[in-house]
Amino acid sequence: MRTRILLVAVAAMLLVPVSLWAHHAFAAEFDSTKPVKLRGTVTKMDWINPHAWIHIEVKATDGKVTKWMIEAAAPNAMLRRGFNQDSLPIGTEILVEGFQAKDGANRANGSSITYPDGKKLFIGSQGTGAPVEQ
Amino acid sequence: MRHRFLMLVLTASAIAALSLMALPVAAQAPRPATATTATKAWTPPKTSWGDPDLQGIYTSDDYIGLGMNRAAQYGNRLYFTDEEMAARERTIQATAQRNAQEFVTPGGNVGTGPPGHWGEGARRSPRQTSLITEPENGQTPALTEEGRLRQALYTRQGAGTANPEDSWEGYTYYIRCISRGIAGSIIPVIYGNGTEIVQGPGYITLLQEMVHEARVIPIDGSPHVGSNIKTYMGDSRGHWEGNTLVIETKNILGNKTGIGGNGGGTPFSEDAKFTERLTRIDKDTIQYSMRVEDPRTYTAPFTFAFPIRQEPGYQNFEYACHEGNNGMMNQLSGARAAEKAAAEAAKQK
Repeated sequence: MRTRILLVAVAAMLLVPVSLWAHHAFAAEFDSTKPVKLRGTVTKMDWINPHAWIHIEVKATDGKVTKWMIEAAAPNAMLRRGFNQDSLPIGTEILVEGFQAKDGANRANGSSITYPDGKKLFIGSQGTGAPVEQ
Repeated sequence: MRHRFLMLVLTASAIAALSLMALPVAAQAPRPATATTATKAWTPPKTSWGDPDLQGIYTSDDYIGLGMNRAAQYGNRLYFTDEEMAARERTIQATAQRNAQEFVTPGGNVGTGPPGHWGEGARRSPRQTSLITEPENGQTPALTEEGRLRQALYTRQGAGTANPEDSWEGYTYYIRCISRGIAGSIIPVIYGNGTEIVQGPGYITLLQEMVHEARVIPIDGSPHVGSNIKTYMGDSRGHWEGNTLVIETKNILGNKTGIGGNGGGTPFSEDAKFTERLTRIDKDTIQYSMRVEDPRTYTAPFTFAFPIRQEPGYQNFEYACHEGNNGMMNQLSGARAAEKAAAEAAKQK
C-alpha cells in the first residue's frame, strides 16, 4: 500500500484562481469554531466524483460509536498524488483533523488524516484560508 | 528541517508565480501551434466502418487556469513564445516535484478551506495565450443590451443579486446536479475534465466526467428535431469534413447556462447556435473548438479552442453528484442552523 502522499500545493493554489473551487463555499459549509479531532476506523471509501468520501466510526471512551463522513478530493486528483481506492482498507485506524459542518452534522472536511504510525495522508496547506465561491 | 523545506517551497512558489506574471511582452512573431505541425505528418486511424477514429478518454487538464480572455500583454498574439513556454514548463515541473514528496507542516495553519492538493493542474504548458481564438484580440465580444439584462436576471452566484443560501434555486444548474450546458461541459475547470468518446456507425457519443452528461450525436444526415423541443444540451447533429468531425447544435433551453466555469456566467439565449470541430491531430490529441453564435446575447460570434489529450491512467470515474457533492446541502443546512440559533438567541433577550 502506498502511503507516501504529498501535500502542499502552494504553487498550484497561486496559479489557479480560487473562484474555480466550483462546488464549495467552504466558509459557508464548515464551522471554523468547530475543529474536530477524530480517531476512528474506516468503514467505507466512496471513490466518486466530484469528491471522495471516507466513512469512519469513532468510539468514545464510554463505548458509544458515532459515524462520521470525511470529505476528500476528486479521485483523479488523489490518484495523481499516489492515493488510490485501496489506500484506506476497511478497518484502517486513522486520526482525522478538520472542521465540522455548520449544521452540526457528523460531516467534516478532512484537512489532515494520519495513520497510526504517524504517516500523513492529508495536511492542511498553509494559508489557504477559506476560498469563497463566487 | 521540514519546516525549512516548506519555507523553501513557499519561496520558490512565489518566485515562480511572479516570474510567470512578468513574462516578457515579447515582440516575436507568433509560432504555429505544435498541434498544427503534427496534423500534416500524421494520418488518423479509421474505425472498422470507415469513419475517422476519435475514440478514447481525453482530458483538457493542460489548459486549467488559462483564461478565456487573453491577458493584455499578449495583444493579438495567440501563442506563447518558446521562452514563455519554457518558463511555464519549469513551473509545472517544480510543482510536480513538490507534489511527489511527503512532509509534515509543524503547526500548520489548517483552515476550513480546501487543502491545496485537492485540485488538478496542467501537466504541460498550454501553447495558446487564451482559450478565445476568434476574434483576433482574444476577448469575448461585448454583451448586447438583452445580454446584459439576462446577465443581471439569471446569473447565479457572483452577480450578487441574491443570497444563494436563501434557497436551492440560488445555486447554478451545475451545483444542483442538473447540467453544465453545452459549452460549460467542455471548458477546462479545476478538476473533472475528462471526455470519453465512443463511436458507432451513424453515431458518436461524448461522455463528460463532470456531471456525466452523455451527448449521443447522430452523424447519419438526419435533420434536427423541431424547434419546439428544447433541452439543456440542445440538439446536436454531426458530419465529417475530411478527418474533422463537425457538430452543430441548437434548440438549447435559454437562460440556463453560459461560458463561465461549469456553465455559469451570462446564460445563452434559446436562439444560440454552436459549431464544434474535433480533429485528431496525433495519437493522443484532439484539437477541439466551439464557435458560438448568439446575437441576442453577444455582439459578435466568437470561438474558443484547446487540445484535449489522452494520458496513461486518466479515467472517467463515477460521477455521483448528489452523493459526492454535499456543498449545496452543507451551505443550506448551515444557513438554516445559523438562522435557528439567531432566533433562539433573540428569544432569550
